[in-house]
Amino acid sequence: MAITKFDQHAMAATFAEAGERDSAQEMLAGTGTGAQRKQPHKPTPAKKPYLSTLVLGTLSLVAYYYVFTNEKLVTDVFTRGGIYAIWPLSTALFVSFIHGAFGSNLLSLLGLEAKKAH
Amino acid sequence: MRKLLIVLIIAGFLAPLLSSAAFAAGEPPKDLMKGIITQVDAQQRTVSFTKDNGEVMTLTLPEKMATADVAINKKVMISLDKHAGPGVIKDVDQMFMDMTVSKGVALLLVGLIGGLLSGFIGSGGAFVLTPAMMSLGAPGAVAVATNMCHKFPKALVGTYKRFKYGQVDLKLAAVMGVTAIIGVQFGIKMQKYILNTYGNAGSNLYVSVIFVAVLVLVGGYVFFDAYKLAKGGDSEKASKLALRLQKMELWPMMEFKVAKVRISAWVTVPVGLATGLLAATIAVGGFIGVPGMIYVVGASAMVASATELGIAFMMGAWGSVQWGMSGLIDIRLALLLLSTSLIGVQLGALGTTYVKDYMIKLVMASVMLVVAVSRGAMIPGYLAALGLREALDKGTAGFLDSLSFWTLVAALGLSGLIITIAMVVGMMKDRAEKKMVTAVSHG
Repeated sequence: MAITKFDQHAMAATFAEAGERDSAQEMLAGTGTGAQRKQPHKPTPAKKPYLSTLVLGTLSLVAYYYVFTNEKLVTDVFTRGGIYAIWPLSTALFVSFIHGAFGSNLLSLLGLEAKKAH
Repeated sequence: MRKLLIVLIIAGFLAPLLSSAAFAAGEPPKDLMKGIITQVDAQQRTVSFTKDNGEVMTLTLPEKMATADVAINKKVMISLDKHAGPGVIKDVDQMFMDMTVSKGVALLLVGLIGGLLSGFIGSGGAFVLTPAMMSLGAPGAVAVATNMCHKFPKALVGTYKRFKYGQVDLKLAAVMGVTAIIGVQFGIKMQKYILNTYGNAGSNLYVSVIFVAVLVLVGGYVFFDAYKLAKGGDSEKASKLALRLQKMELWPMMEFKVAKVRISAWVTVPVGLATGLLAATIAVGGFIGVPGMIYVVGASAMVASATELGIAFMMGAWGSVQWGMSGLIDIRLALLLLSTSLIGVQLGALGTTYVKDYMIKLVMASVMLVVAVSRGAMIPGYLAALGLREALDKGTAGFLDSLSFWTLVAALGLSGLIITIAMVVGMMKDRAEKKMVTAVSHG
């Protein structure tokens, strides 16, 4: 929030009454350093991850589409047991990484984030 | 910490591969075969069956089975009738159900709430996901295997999120994870013994009695504790038992920095073993694991529920490799569940940052007590099947079945509702506080 002219004049009057004539004059002139009340630091709002959400969402959709349009593959080859176990496990991990990251970005876009300590 | 996390992940996957004796699912029974039926001869009442290893067999259909009911060119599990002679089929179960839109939607919904619950209380979801998949048509073994395959990536994501919030004690998760895996082995051996000795009815009764006993005792205690904290407004303190155990100087003493506990490693052993045993028995180790870490080890509910996700990941990874090696994972169901549970688990995890510690206990206890009713309703039926009580009439049996199903639905719905309300209230309070802070700093 910017300091209003009223605030500036009020501060200048305070410094003048305290005998700080130079600081009061600086304030009235619109300049001043140490005497001027510091502006609270406004944190720059974090960028919303629109692009990464879109990319990850698309990748996730493609992965799901591939699995569900190849049902014969996943219910036959993926279930042969033994070393073929690598297929369902790696598919679950791969999709989870992409979809998990998409989910995280989606929640951020919706403004749902963990509480930060004040 | 990162290195420890990576070691945990690799250990979770390699451990079962390195130990041939650690086959949690056990050797598949010799008269159970997986493969595809390629031809049916209606006149001879025989089928041509190609096993997974490529071997082709001719099997005879039982009298009760109509040839029209045999699924052709679909992966099936065939059990043979040893008493009827060689190559005679007892049962044919289609392993991977036909997917429909309604089944897909049901799985998405169940996955979301199961994930929310997992992220918030560190466990749960599994006790509804397995029965939910079975009621949609998945055979029991496929439902359990698929649930495991869905559980470990979800637990990994949940662990990572809550680790970022500073809630996971990785060291405690690793120490308890090792004994939990041993507990899973014992639990499965016990299950197989009961199944072989008393059959399906005996196994169901065993599972249900354990469910009810643990959920009522532990759930009741946790509920009482949460109620005291909510009423009294006291800050959470370690239990008297935990404080006494922490004073025991029994080598090796371990310091768990995140849990803020210094305790003998021996104390974590029974908690870890019991977690694994329960996971193998009722599929939810966290119902012992989380209260165990709170009341025996002395961690807070926040840290206990977060750390449980790490243990769930290790057990889930272990079980998934073994079920995968048996060829029982239906990746379609696992992915459908994951599509919403991965979002739910993150939502539940961030929800914990907006609530007080006792809310986690309250949700956990509520779910446990409602599920106890659901399981308890099935016990009279199992007793009747074992001949331990007179048979139930159709009306009573139907009523108890419905009661069991709808209380399970109520458990999921109730937990989802409590978590959502607690999160929304917490977020609104946080936003109001932020506005006040901004106003004061600018005023």
